[in-house]
Amino acid sequence: MFSKFKKLKLATLAFATVIAGGAVADTIKIAGWGAKSGPLRSFGVNSEAIIKAAIDRVNENGGVKLADGSMAKMSYDYYDSACNAEQGIAIARKVASETNALIGIGPTCSGVAAASFGVFQKKVGDSSDTGLQMPLLTDTAVRNGLAKISQWTFRNTPNEPDMYDKLFAWIAKTNPDIKTIYGGTETNQGHSAGTYSKVIVQAAIRHGFEWVNGPIDEVSDKIGSGFKNVLSSSSNWLMEDTNFSVQARAFKKSGADLFIVSSHPFTTCGFLKELSRMKGMPKMMVGLTSSSSAEVMKGCPKQAEGMIIPTSFAPITAAAKEVAALAAANGGSADLHSAASWENVMIIKDVIEAVGITGDPSKVKEERAKIRDGLEALETTEGLIGTVTRVQDEGEALKPFVFVHAKNGNWEVLHDPRK
Amino acid sequence: MEYYFGILQNIGFHTLLGLSAYLLLLTGQLSMAQVGFFAIGAYASGILTVIYGVNIFLALGVGAIIASFFAFLVGFPALRIKGLMLVIATIAFSEIVRLYFFNLRWLVEKDGVEVGPDGAQGFREIRYFAANGWEPYHIVSFIWIVVILVLFALWWLDRVKAGSVLRAVGEDELAAQSSGINLTVVKVSAMTGGGFIAGIAGGLYAHSTTYVDHNSFTILLATFAVAYPILGGLKNVFGTLFAVIFIQGILIEGLRFLGDYRNLLFGLLIILVMNFYPKGLINIPIFNWSKLVKRRDL
Amino acid sequence: MSFGFIDILQSLIDGILFGSIYALIGLGFTLIFGAMEKLNMAYAASSIGGAYVGLGLATLFSLPLFLVFLIGPIAAGLISILVYLVSFRLIPSTNHLGSLMASIGALFFIDEVIIHETQGSPLTFPELGIFAEAYFMLGDLGFRGDLIFIMIFGLISMGVIIYLLYYTRLGLATRAVSQQNVAARLCGIPIHTINISTFVLAGILGGFAGCMAAASVGVISPLLTIPITIKGLIAAVIGGLGSIRGAIIAGLMIGGVENFFLLVRGVNERDIYVFLLLFVFLVLRPNGLFGNEINRD
Repeated sequence: MFSKFKKLKLATLAFATVIAGGAVADTIKIAGWGAKSGPLRSFGVNSEAIIKAAIDRVNENGGVKLADGSMAKMSYDYYDSACNAEQGIAIARKVASETNALIGIGPTCSGVAAASFGVFQKKVGDSSDTGLQMPLLTDTAVRNGLAKISQWTFRNTPNEPDMYDKLFAWIAKTNPDIKTIYGGTETNQGHSAGTYSKVIVQAAIRHGFEWVNGPIDEVSDKIGSGFKNVLSSSSNWLMEDTNFSVQARAFKKSGADLFIVSSHPFTTCGFLKELSRMKGMPKMMVGLTSSSSAEVMKGCPKQAEGMIIPTSFAPITAAAKEVAALAAANGGSADLHSAASWENVMIIKDVIEAVGITGDPSKVKEERAKIRDGLEALETTEGLIGTVTRVQDEGEALKPFVFVHAKNGNWEVLHDPRK
Repeated sequence: MEYYFGILQNIGFHTLLGLSAYLLLLTGQLSMAQVGFFAIGAYASGILTVIYGVNIFLALGVGAIIASFFAFLVGFPALRIKGLMLVIATIAFSEIVRLYFFNLRWLVEKDGVEVGPDGAQGFREIRYFAANGWEPYHIVSFIWIVVILVLFALWWLDRVKAGSVLRAVGEDELAAQSSGINLTVVKVSAMTGGGFIAGIAGGLYAHSTTYVDHNSFTILLATFAVAYPILGGLKNVFGTLFAVIFIQGILIEGLRFLGDYRNLLFGLLIILVMNFYPKGLINIPIFNWSKLVKRRDL
Repeated sequence: MSFGFIDILQSLIDGILFGSIYALIGLGFTLIFGAMEKLNMAYAASSIGGAYVGLGLATLFSLPLFLVFLIGPIAAGLISILVYLVSFRLIPSTNHLGSLMASIGALFFIDEVIIHETQGSPLTFPELGIFAEAYFMLGDLGFRGDLIFIMIFGLISMGVIIYLLYYTRLGLATRAVSQQNVAARLCGIPIHTINISTFVLAGILGGFAGCMAAASVGVISPLLTIPITIKGLIAAVIGGLGSIRGAIIAGLMIGGVENFFLLVRGVNERDIYVFLLLFVFLVLRPNGLFGNEINRD
């Protein structure tokens, strides 16, 4: 019985490969993967919508130029990882070994990224390391420090340490009456908790803000310092919590001038509503990058009023506005996570043209290595709201950003440091 | 090829997980604790290879032994609790284990990088296989050698008295006790054995995916673990194996193009099988040759 | 976080008030168990599902938002009938494992339908009108108005259910089916109709609970389903499966315990204590606080 199923599967695969093999020569394939099912489904949906729009644009303009001067179309396949590490790894393996995709864009979930980056070859050329050898340019998974796991993995995600550093510098300069801070996060969400306890609080301290009940042990202005103590001094909750009374009371009792609320839309809104119910709103609030989204504006526009968030995407340039419109036309929405997918497609096109690719399926391995080298060599790339600087030895990016705040149910630009 | 190896690996540890639940179901205990033992095996063996540099075989063994130790401890209170209450108690156990690992931080610096479990951030870079030059086909073969050994052991169990003893306890505890079977020994041994198998599965899983965190060990996975033997049928081990191949291989991977409709199908599948084939898929006429070639005795 | 006595008292109060939601869900679980000796794992999912349907229909037809609280429970009742049909109707009542797994299958299915239709993103849920912002102060202690409303609702439901079970013919039939299935059938009591009515009753109750849980947070999300299932189940078990007042008391107790440990031990360890509480009960007092009251006379 089992062999019957397997034989059928192998036969179909062989047939498909033969069919596919003939048609690859004039198409450059890339792969995308992210969560398209499960509660974080919107990230994958948005990413795919923008990848599609970007590739359509490239093809409308003639396509990608190959090494011999001819033009080839770009195409993509998008895979659903369901925000599940196992599936993410299976997809990475499948794409690397079963397809001719030259590069991948994704994943969306930081947990999947942390897991799947580990199956790639750590150092290029290390023959004793049997990890995957295919370049990856991430758009969404933003947890700090992931790209350096492997020399094949690159990210075009905002650099949160830099953004929060500049944010607090600006707040200190423009609001001298704000002196004390207090905060909380979702401890079981890797991104929220990691960024809060290692990046945001330390950035605030670096610019002269004080934790409300006196300095926290071991916490200095250095990224990552004393993060355990940050968490234990804060009032936290879990990603799926619905009761925030204890935490809201602690926030109110702290009497701090500025509250840091580092969580995703669901609990951000739940928490802020409770805080507002207790009449505990502070003078100023700073939020997590991922909360600068439409969900928060739909869920708690009144209570989030005034919250300040740094973001690497806002429809403030012609290019950015265009991408926002295209995203909506393709069934998604553009935010700092998904907008990077557009940039990624354009970067990939540029790198392919720069290093010279033939698109020949028998040369996939070498061409992937060439593209990887090309990515690493990049010093700057074109971003939707400005030039992005690459951090070459880590595979990360430094993206231009603006500060937005929630006003009248919209995220409006509060300050534009690019000027 | 690597992609198919990946799927085979996946089927491998899910089969082991299913078999650990199968062993317990034979004795009539529906245990959602297998995912807890799976987690213990995963973290224990991961810590051994990553922090202490122990080789994989020893690490897996020790991880499984630690898991079976906890299973042994769980076996005793499980004696007092029957049926649905056991389900709830084991759900609670697995959640406690998961929350423990959620809080566990054990970081050590190696080669300038911090490795080890990092609480909510997970346990990254369990790279024993890649760092030691194991090719995907090595890993797959290793996993499947273990799976075949366990399959054989459990299949052989049915050929000796032990199998009948286990099933007797599962069918009717009172009758079994009246026949002189020591319920405590049987049930606790089954729990310990199940814990051992789940522990090995966890270790293989951790090293195969190179990353585990508390989200890898949820009640959802516990449900999968018991779903395999229940959907497959308790007649023999191949029911569980088939259920795993069907769900992991065909439903999740093969129907990948259906996107998130797969999750809907999983729920539907369980409902359909429970309603129409309550004894498991292994009893569908295709698999049950004896029903097809039944000879009538006149 | 340093805290004083007032903080402890306040956290207990908040917790107990919030526990009304667990109490209502636990009540549903216990009702079904008491009547049929079966666990309907899809219960919380059908409750939240009902709330979603209510919200969806109200938004679609631009109805006044308070109607969500009427459509939701009715929808939950209907979903419960479906769950009964797929998980309990065809499966022989002696096959406990089968019904349990089938209801888990239904739980996954309902959850997935919700995620699929809403793309997994949380939706705003109308709040309980005037109660939403109400916050009463008694000295230094604060009481949330909407949670007091839910608690009162829970107590009223308890009263209504006890009345139905012990003072009406339907209740008599339900208890008969629960205590002596075969004898009840011999008396001509239609088993499946009775069971369906139990499911519908529990379903409507659950629909209210789901709507109110979402209203108290102000947002509805599929993330709510599993934690409420587990806490509601624990409430039913600790209270004694089949005991109505047990479910209410246990639900409130769990809410209080949860919040207390949140205050003193922090959010990461909080749930460990709730599960340990369950363990203690299961090992020392497996019949819960009150045992199965529906099933005995």
